[in-house]
Amino acid sequence: MPEALCFSNKVEGWCDLDTLDKLSILAEGAKYDVSCVSSGSSRKNTPGGLGSGYAAGFCHSFTTDGRCISLLKVLMSNDCVYDCAYCVNRVSNDFPRATFTPGELVDITINFYRRNYIEGLFLSSAVYKNPNYTMELFIRVLKMLREEYRFNGYIHVKAIPGADNALVEQAGLYADRMSVNIELPSNDSLKLLAPQKNKEKILGPMGFISTKISENKEDIVKYKKKQYFVPAGQSTQVIVGATPHRDINILKLSEALYKRYKLKRVFYSAYIPVSNHPALPAIEKPPLLREHRLYQADWLLRFYGFSADELLSDSRPDLDEQLDPKCDWALRNLHLFPVEVNRCDYETLLRVPGIGVISAKRILTARRVSSLDFDDLRKLGVVLKRAQYFITCKGKYYKGIIMDDAFIRQNLVRENMMQAMKSGNMAEEYRQVSFFSNGYDYGYDYGYGYGYGHGRGHGLAGAGDFGFRGLNIQDRDFRKSLAGIGMNTGMSMNMGMGLVQGPGMDIALNIGGMNGVNMGMITAEEKMKSITGEL
Amino acid sequence: MLCYTYDGSFDGLLTAIYEVYYRGEDPKKIKSIEGLEQNFLDTYVHISTDYEKSRKVYNSIEKKISRDALENVYCVYLADREEDKDTYIYEYLKFGWKAGSKVDSYLSDDRVLRVHAIKRRVDREVHRMMGFTRFSLLEGNVYYAPIEPDNNILPLLAPHFSKRLPDQNWVIHDLGRRIAAVYNTREWMIADAALLGEIPRTDAREETYRQLWKQFYSNVSIRERFNPSLHRRLLPERYWRHLTEKW
Ligand code: SF4
Repeated sequence: MPEALCFSNKVEGWCDLDTLDKLSILAEGAKYDVSCVSSGSSRKNTPGGLGSGYAAGFCHSFTTDGRCISLLKVLMSNDCVYDCAYCVNRVSNDFPRATFTPGELVDITINFYRRNYIEGLFLSSAVYKNPNYTMELFIRVLKMLREEYRFNGYIHVKAIPGADNALVEQAGLYADRMSVNIELPSNDSLKLLAPQKNKEKILGPMGFISTKISENKEDIVKYKKKQYFVPAGQSTQVIVGATPHRDINILKLSEALYKRYKLKRVFYSAYIPVSNHPALPAIEKPPLLREHRLYQADWLLRFYGFSADELLSDSRPDLDEQLDPKCDWALRNLHLFPVEVNRCDYETLLRVPGIGVISAKRILTARRVSSLDFDDLRKLGVVLKRAQYFITCKGKYYKGIIMDDAFIRQNLVRENMMQAMKSGNMAEEYRQVSFFSNGYDYGYDYGYGYGYGHGRGHGLAGAGDFGFRGLNIQDRDFRKSLAGIGMNTGMSMNMGMGLVQGPGMDIALNIGGMNGVNMGMITAEEKMKSITGEL
Repeated sequence: MLCYTYDGSFDGLLTAIYEVYYRGEDPKKIKSIEGLEQNFLDTYVHISTDYEKSRKVYNSIEKKISRDALENVYCVYLADREEDKDTYIYEYLKFGWKAGSKVDSYLSDDRVLRVHAIKRRVDREVHRMMGFTRFSLLEGNVYYAPIEPDNNILPLLAPHFSKRLPDQNWVIHDLGRRIAAVYNTREWMIADAALLGEIPRTDAREETYRQLWKQFYSNVSIRERFNPSLHRRLLPERYWRHLTEKW
């Protein structure tokens, strides 16, 4: 690109001819860091300055994988002296290296901001030369933005593990948020996969930042001090699936970080294979569904008053793949339900599947002026398909529901999946779960190839499909009959068929609908096990 | 069926509501005269806008109902492609003057529900457009952003950008409604887009940053996580036309 074009009206030009290439390399290197949210800090505009933070943050665009783009997220440099096995930037990896000059990066940031491409800057880096040197580069960028350009947009900056506290502190005076990535949930795995890092190098700065944040808060109250230190708090990221850790290890770690270091967010990043280090798992696809479930559980910790121990235990160390953690918890605690929507308190409402923070608040508001029935709840945004098993309205259950664990579970699983299909989020992963796990899952998710024996049993609950379900014919008792047939007609045609005898098998067939033709099979033996196991 | 019509302005709408009470009539509908196709079975009465009367209604909403209700009414008014929005506003207010400040607690009452639902849609679009609006630097040092929103949201976007980009001249041009918000580093106003005249050419510096942005955009997506349906839901295709990164 012609050099002259790189000069904005204010910047003393810094754009090299290869800025475009650098940006491409350094954005590529930063993208796996998922903690790109810009929220929690509303900076007022300083007179004559540029920009304002906004507490809720905006998405300025979305990546083709459906993540929000709100910050210019780049590495200062990808030229690392460290050698972490899970990372593309590791020194032993042979690939193109680049480093921004502070002026260059400032110019891009300011010009992107003026065009409303971004909310601010997310500055990360490989360890270039040494931790302090990298941190000093950061500080130059921040100073230039805040002081020379009076830039009030959002700035998130990484604290480089191993850098001096004094430098971390200086950066914190300019940044809205800081983060130190934990990446691996234990010291042992760090030793194995990130030999130059250790727990102290990570938790050290984290503790330091958290102390400084609370000191700063007190100073602001006491001395009406003007300069904020990291007003939007700190966050971290943990990689999921690169080590043998279970969900319970990860969730407990997060819980401790929220409590001890007052972190604002912990981000989870499904491990994407970038090297074939022998200590790393060889996986085909990143464990996205697992990452999704961890986010859901994390949400329950932060906003719903749950503790990690309620969600997981040593005997159940991982989150359920088929069911979101709240439904799963509720099913294991059916004795606490139903609750009366018109009377129970906010905390209890929050624990009902299908009722979120917003709908719980709406319920509190609405029931002050009139008592609510199921129809009202639907209007308030409650997902009755989930909530119906756990609530009463004016003392009454939702019509026609059956209080049976297995029945409820089956319906909730289907609801979870339909939701995924509808929103497009995790749809592919659900398909994966149902395709590649054992036949039990398959029959369950795909064709409901077997029926559900509740009481008399509904023979073959027809092939529940993700399309629209119409008529449901279900009339056979599985355990007695040799075969059951269920059929749904409607927008798509589904058929389920079951044979239960000897080495027989179960067949589910979906025709039409969103998925074309699907077939699933489970053996009779497995099926019997699952039925008897469930009931 | 009796239907009141008004000139399409917010003051006009409030005047019409004033007349309902003043005349003691009970129109079944209130509609903006703009683009209205009159149905010959109905009786139309046009109400001409009267600033005094509008003020009275405005104050009465704020005092007798609530500040929130006023905000709801204004937002729903901006949803100008919503066929029956004026009638919804009218019914919401009728109920509001009965229920008082508690009106927004009747979350399952249809009159309240409808208004809240439209308000949420408008809010969502405003929030989206605060992110999706894209400025280009034009010759003459003006940043120019064409938009085509579903709702008439310029009055809500302009104050935001006057805080966010206070030291640059900018224009946000609502192509569909042919109006524009214009800001000169001190104050903003909304004007007929015809006053903009010919739109100047883009500045020579512009292309560089567009290229950089597009490069950035294509680099941050993660191939292993590609999810086009989710992408389209979050970034609906109708917005792509004006998004630099989608060109
Ligand atoms: S220090 Fe950071 S950039 Fe360098 S190899 Fe380790 S994880 Fe990658």
